[in-house]
Amino acid sequence: MFSKTERADTVDRPPSPDAEKGAPVAVLSGARLSYPGIGDGGPEANGAEVDVLRGIDMEIGAGEIVAATGPSGSGKSSLIAVIGGLERPTGGEVKVLDIDLTTAGEAARTDLRRRNIGIVFQSFHLVPAMSALQNASLPLMLAGNFEAESEAAKMLARVGLSHRLNHRPSALSGGEQQRVAIARAFAAEPRLVLADEPTGNLDQATGDEVVGVMFDLVRETGASMLLVTHDESLAARCDRTIAIDNGKVRDTVGS
Amino acid sequence: MRDRDGRDTAAPLSRADQFRVLRALVRAEWAAGIFGLRLFIGCVAIATFMMGTVWMLGDGLSTMLSRGGTTFLGGDVSVTTTNVPLPADLADRLSALGAMSEVAELRSSAQAGGERVAVELKGVDGAYPLYGGVTLGSGRDFRTVLNRTGNVETEGRPAAIVEPTFLARTGAGIGDVLRLGGQDFVIADTLSQEPDRLSVGRFMVGPRIIVRLDALRAAGLIQRGSIVEFRYRLRDRADAPDDLVDAVRDLRPEAGWELETPADAGDRVLRTVDRTTTFLGMVGITALAIGIAGAWAAAKAWVRRRIRTIALYRLSGATPGMVLALHAVIVVFASFLGLAVGLGASAAVALPLLDVITTRLHVPLATGNVVEQMATVALILVAGLAGTGLLAMSSAAEVSPGAAMRSGEAPPSANPLHAAAGAGLVLFALGAAALSLPIPVLAGLMTLGLAAAIGVLALAAAGLAKCVSRRRPRGFLGTVIRQSLENAGHTATRTIAIGVGIIGITAIVAAQNSLQQALTQELPERVPDLVLIDVQPDQVAALRDRVEGDPGLEGLQADPFMRMTLTQVNGVPVEDALVREDKSWVIEGDRSFSWAAEPTGAALLAGDWWDVDYDGQPLVSPEEDLMEAFDLTVGDRLTYSVLGRTFTSEVVNIRKEYHRTFRPEYLLLASPQPFRDAPHTWIMSLQGKTDAALDGLIRDVSAAHGNVTAIDIRPLVAQVRGVIDGATLASFLMAGLLVVAGAMSLAALVAADVDARRQEALVFSVVGASRREIALVRLAEAAAVGAIAAALGGLAGMVGGYFVVTEALRVDWAPSAFVFVLPVVLGVASSVVAGAVGGLGAVPGGRGQLVRHLAA
Repeated sequence: MFSKTERADTVDRPPSPDAEKGAPVAVLSGARLSYPGIGDGGPEANGAEVDVLRGIDMEIGAGEIVAATGPSGSGKSSLIAVIGGLERPTGGEVKVLDIDLTTAGEAARTDLRRRNIGIVFQSFHLVPAMSALQNASLPLMLAGNFEAESEAAKMLARVGLSHRLNHRPSALSGGEQQRVAIARAFAAEPRLVLADEPTGNLDQATGDEVVGVMFDLVRETGASMLLVTHDESLAARCDRTIAIDNGKVRDTVGS
Repeated sequence: MRDRDGRDTAAPLSRADQFRVLRALVRAEWAAGIFGLRLFIGCVAIATFMMGTVWMLGDGLSTMLSRGGTTFLGGDVSVTTTNVPLPADLADRLSALGAMSEVAELRSSAQAGGERVAVELKGVDGAYPLYGGVTLGSGRDFRTVLNRTGNVETEGRPAAIVEPTFLARTGAGIGDVLRLGGQDFVIADTLSQEPDRLSVGRFMVGPRIIVRLDALRAAGLIQRGSIVEFRYRLRDRADAPDDLVDAVRDLRPEAGWELETPADAGDRVLRTVDRTTTFLGMVGITALAIGIAGAWAAAKAWVRRRIRTIALYRLSGATPGMVLALHAVIVVFASFLGLAVGLGASAAVALPLLDVITTRLHVPLATGNVVEQMATVALILVAGLAGTGLLAMSSAAEVSPGAAMRSGEAPPSANPLHAAAGAGLVLFALGAAALSLPIPVLAGLMTLGLAAAIGVLALAAAGLAKCVSRRRPRGFLGTVIRQSLENAGHTATRTIAIGVGIIGITAIVAAQNSLQQALTQELPERVPDLVLIDVQPDQVAALRDRVEGDPGLEGLQADPFMRMTLTQVNGVPVEDALVREDKSWVIEGDRSFSWAAEPTGAALLAGDWWDVDYDGQPLVSPEEDLMEAFDLTVGDRLTYSVLGRTFTSEVVNIRKEYHRTFRPEYLLLASPQPFRDAPHTWIMSLQGKTDAALDGLIRDVSAAHGNVTAIDIRPLVAQVRGVIDGATLASFLMAGLLVVAGAMSLAALVAADVDARRQEALVFSVVGASRREIALVRLAEAAAVGAIAAALGGLAGMVGGYFVVTEALRVDWAPSAFVFVLPVVLGVASSVVAGAVGGLGAVPGGRGQLVRHLAA
């Protein structure tokens, strides 16, 4: 477990303007998200709405690492989807880097993800037909960076995969696949990284390695991170932990 | 290791146990339904439907026509003469060789119910028919009805059996009086089926009327110079029909006759049916190729969707063989469902159509052939589907149990042995389909052409993949496009699946258009409205005055009309002198002949006309067709027989042929002497400015010249137009069905891609790609594939279409501009659909769907 002091020692990044000002990168007030009900016939079969987020109030400060914990189905993944602009909140207010995601169009949300948000999933979500290098380059390419592959290669080296650049996901182990996903998430130097159970599919040792890499990268790049996890010990390594239950913030631990 | 019951759990399952396990798995899968294979079933059904319909119709008709030769001919051998009957002594010698029946056929006019209509008259003797039976509307016995002469009921009038259309046109009914020439007949019954109808071998100008031969003679219609065909049919008594034919051939008179055997009977119809069937068969084979491509894509998509499930089966201890067997059983069920639907639909379409056609041709319907054809089609499709299934499902057996646990698992590729066997089976199915057509060489060549075109498509796609893989794009679009196209096998597969559809549809539409053009050209813009036949020379002047004095009539053309049989060219029998097989019709039977004192106005290809006052030995002017048949030049000598006399004349010029004008045209034209004074009739054709003027002339002719038959061309033209419209509609329907088959195939292909692409699109979306960018990638990628498929497929389709048009249909190549546009349209459409579905459709749209997919 890192203390704030220990972390300060390891951080090696220029402080962002927001950090200097201490402005939060994400602010949620009364954020709500409801999905159409699901019956046997699939979504919207019975028409009843399912409230997944029921008024979330939270902030993620610049450079802050926040853990979100809670039982399955409590709304953790949906929280990531809302902050990542993957789902539009159905109520309340969600602002990420001063962009109001309740009203922002798809283009604005896409642009936000492309330039400022990196996402890591439990099940990696790599493009099966692409090599590790191509997968990691994607966000850079989308941002119009024509040195995408060389920068992605550096990032892959940073996560310890310089020897696996041209391997496809099917030829990589779970830990390696997740490291490619991490390299991809950090490649475009995002201001906010969202990680949804990144160690859920990995053994303890591999999970620790992967988390170590992620924390290091967050510190190095000065990004903020929202980390969804079931793992209490992992949550304890974060600056702050919010406990989510039934779509609401039940508790906050840490400053 | 032993279980609680003491069984050795490490021992492999017995066959019976394996079967039990398989049955249990199939039951479980069955409960879930085979909805996932709906596109597969659709592709199989549509291919089966198209093949089934064509095979049942075409081969059914061919078999019926070839089996019924003696019936259609009316005997084991038949000889025909025109104008004059055989001399009595020759007829006697013929009748000594076997049971003989004599029939006379002519075009005439009949009056009944106050109307006078052109009819196809047939006089038959007591022995007719030697083979088959005449079916009457009332169901009564033909001979009994025909011989019902002289009784009280008919007041001594002979009986006439008429086709129902005659009653419809005249308003007369059974029992009414019908006048033919100078004789009254009583309408005794209607004609339903005439066994030797196909022996007519020409266009019928009106309804058939059958009377007794002696009554026909008594009516005074068989005069010297009348165009009457006398047919003498013989039935073999010694069970040696070949000897009979030889014996008859030995009796050939110098004036010639037309000798036909059952093999020749209905030959022209059979040839037409064979060519049409082969053409339709190519439509069927194309549908088969498209259907198999679609079925393969659909099966592959289905297997791909099931990779996790398969991995879980493997994880639970299923062997690769068990997995393969389970999927094979499901695909077999789905195949049989598709086959049943397709065959059922084709039977529902083909049987009524076959009934209509056989009724028209007066051929008895034999449904036994239909079952045979259904079995053939089913076997061909089973072979093709077995290959398809093997290609699609081989990868299922290769799925490792670990795939259930891993993400990013690409579907395994098929076992090379399975792939080779699958491809072999598909080729076998295409080959078998070609071989089962009436003209297998033609169909085989077309199938080989299709296979070659597929090979070219594959090579071009592989070339594209190689080109793309050499490039190192830096941007998102370029990288993703490169990644999706650089797999040569995958790119080739998609190009072929789209290309096959484009090849087939382009070829069929091009052929259809040429066929339509050819049929339309059969109808000249200006056709005579009325043709008068059997005009005696002394009636010509009066009729000419009547027509020329009527301002409502115009364009009169009057010619002597005779028939001749060509026997020798420069002293060589015509059979040996023939240099072009496709012109053999010029020596088949009697052909049109006339004489003219003055130039006819036809353009000359060689030579000059005889002088207007030339009255020496006959000189002849053959038409272009004769020149081509024998490589004739001016100065050659032709031997021919007219009205039973044989002449040998010098060719002095060669006339250009004016195709399809409906005007009387003469294959051979002679100088006037000695034909001017020979008994013969004239033929007059004219046009009317108004229908009233024509109707007035028909009435006058009927009143003043009872022997003259007025053939009203107007309804005939309408009939021909109806046939053309029907043929056009039918070929449009076929092309339309091919488009549907192609669309289903494409849908299956897109479905195969969508699942794989959804995962990618999800990732692209997460890392910040917009829907537009994702769609653009897919569009560009599909456009590359679509462009190759459109360019090469379109080219191959046009080459194929050209081949079909010139070799199978034997009509002029006349593709419309649409044919050139069509491949492009299809290529673009496939690209847009693939791009739209693969790009826009791949990103889950509904609220909560993205999270659901990402959490998976």
